[in-house]
Amino acid sequence: MIWRLALRGLARNPRRTVVVLTAVAIGIAGCALTISINSGMAHQMVKTAIATELGHLQIHAPGFDADPELRILLPEGGVRASRALEDESGEGGDVRAWAPRVQGQGLVNSPRASVGVRVVAVDPEAEARVSAYAGSIVEGEWLGERAGRAVVGADLARRLRVDVGDKIVLSVQDLTGDLTGRAFRVGGVFKTASLAVNQSTLLIRIDEAQQLFALGDRISEIVVIADSDRDVAALRDQLVSSLGSSAEVRSWEELQPLLVYLVNAMDQMAWAIYGAVFIAMAFGIANVLLMSIYERTREIGVMMAMGMKPVRVVAVVMAESLVVTAVGLATGLGVGILCIWLLRDGIDLSRYAEGLEALGVGSVIVPVVRSNDLLAPAAMAVLAATIASAWPAIRVATLRPGEALRRV
Amino acid sequence: MSDSIAEARGVRKVYDTRGVVTAALDGIDFRVQEGEFAALAGPSGSGKTTLLNMLGALDAPTEGKVFIDGEDLSRMSSGELSDLRLAKLGFVFQAYNLIPVFSARENVEFVMELQQVPAAERRERALAMLAEVGLEGLGDKRPLELSGGQQQRVAVARAIVGRPRMVLADEPTANLDSETAARLLELMGDLNREHGTTFLFSTHDPMVMEAARRLVRLRDGRIVDDSREPSV
Repeated sequence: MIWRLALRGLARNPRRTVVVLTAVAIGIAGCALTISINSGMAHQMVKTAIATELGHLQIHAPGFDADPELRILLPEGGVRASRALEDESGEGGDVRAWAPRVQGQGLVNSPRASVGVRVVAVDPEAEARVSAYAGSIVEGEWLGERAGRAVVGADLARRLRVDVGDKIVLSVQDLTGDLTGRAFRVGGVFKTASLAVNQSTLLIRIDEAQQLFALGDRISEIVVIADSDRDVAALRDQLVSSLGSSAEVRSWEELQPLLVYLVNAMDQMAWAIYGAVFIAMAFGIANVLLMSIYERTREIGVMMAMGMKPVRVVAVVMAESLVVTAVGLATGLGVGILCIWLLRDGIDLSRYAEGLEALGVGSVIVPVVRSNDLLAPAAMAVLAATIASAWPAIRVATLRPGEALRRV
Repeated sequence: MSDSIAEARGVRKVYDTRGVVTAALDGIDFRVQEGEFAALAGPSGSGKTTLLNMLGALDAPTEGKVFIDGEDLSRMSSGELSDLRLAKLGFVFQAYNLIPVFSARENVEFVMELQQVPAAERRERALAMLAEVGLEGLGDKRPLELSGGQQQRVAVARAIVGRPRMVLADEPTANLDSETAARLLELMGDLNREHGTTFLFSTHDPMVMEAARRLVRLRDGRIVDDSREPSV
């Protein structure tokens, strides 16, 4: 009887019901879409950071965390760490790829400009498996067998006013403290989603960097990519246990806490917006129910006079609200998911590319749907509807039938 | 007292509308006996509907007590009052007050649904009751598709079908033409005689006063006359 009364009550004024239902659906669809775009941005920020600088994990010599200087190095090309990684890769292992790196600071001179750079020296073949540099070449080619080649970020190339084939001189302070330098030719130009990386990164071969910085066979770090994002914590624990005190193993979250904070802040900001949407939605539903109940006060009085208990009256009002919310929710989620599907190739925001690159986000944002991001707004909508309907329902249920019957 | 179905003792009802205090009932002592066919008469504002609402457990007195079947209503919760109305009382209102989203049959079934009568029995009894009030074949009509007289007959069927001990009817003939009003009164009289259902009306209508076997006159919230042999 409660559902029948609720459904007939809603059918009595179809226009009003459709208006509320549409408002709920738009709210839910808007939330689903913004959540997915927000998640897409956050996902891309993390992905860019992992793909350019961080990897899932990094292995350093002990003390690097406290003092990340060039002198803190893994001995013998990180052979011990490499063995541990070897054990974790292949069938049943959590490691997909790893690559050694040397990281240092330097000054690059071109015939037209001088720019301070971050020198990232890599094993070209291994690096191609762990980072996006090789896949981000926009001019020239990736590092290879040829000596004396450097790959530079697109913005760095612009600042140096160099093109592929031009000569540059890299000056550094080596491990002994002597100033030294070497000439390179620009072999390629890369462009990642991160402005900071594009502006200041110069890539050279690791053997050349070891020579330039006088490192011998030592390296700065090993970058590790896990089989999946879910395996990172377990893999970290496993490597910590295998390597003991001989090395520091840190996840990307530990390496870049600011990024984690930024992603969390984006999530929290989004939830604040959703909260506001749901509060507005709740007031909308409450308002419509109050109007509907106000118009039906006499009728509700008759039902109570016939012997309908106040709790059943509350149930009818709440059922009306739940029906509107459920239909609005289903429609909203359907529309939201459809919009997300239509945007599956990404939203082109190239007009704002520079601002987005500063955040480490590419100019095309692909919405990301996580089940929790859809379930949580759904639960919030039902909660909002319940709270919103409780107010008018209790208001009418506390009326005496005689009082309700006197209402015009 | 043993055959008294409803009783008001020292009932006073005061309405306070934005500071304007009006005494609708001013110390009423009144008893309705089982099987009566009685009418409350008096000018507008004399307290007829207010007294009917008190005796129907629809409203609470400001002072005094109301008893139904010896039970003190002031000691009952709103849920218990609902149960009492459901089990013992039926109502007919001046403006019919049918549920507009229900058909005539569903309106009649409503009380039985609250009484948890099985669906098949509910339907059968509702159709029989509609036939008894002369609305055979009109069960699927919505209230707005029926005339005023037909709607009031549905309201009577709804009031009776739950087999209440007492039916309280507030100006039941006020919106009806005299022919329809006469037929409705005859119907209620038959129900009173055949089923022993107690009827208490509030009315201005001389036809109802004439039909009633007890006529109670009210003025300014007080009973001024209580006659078992009314002469209008």
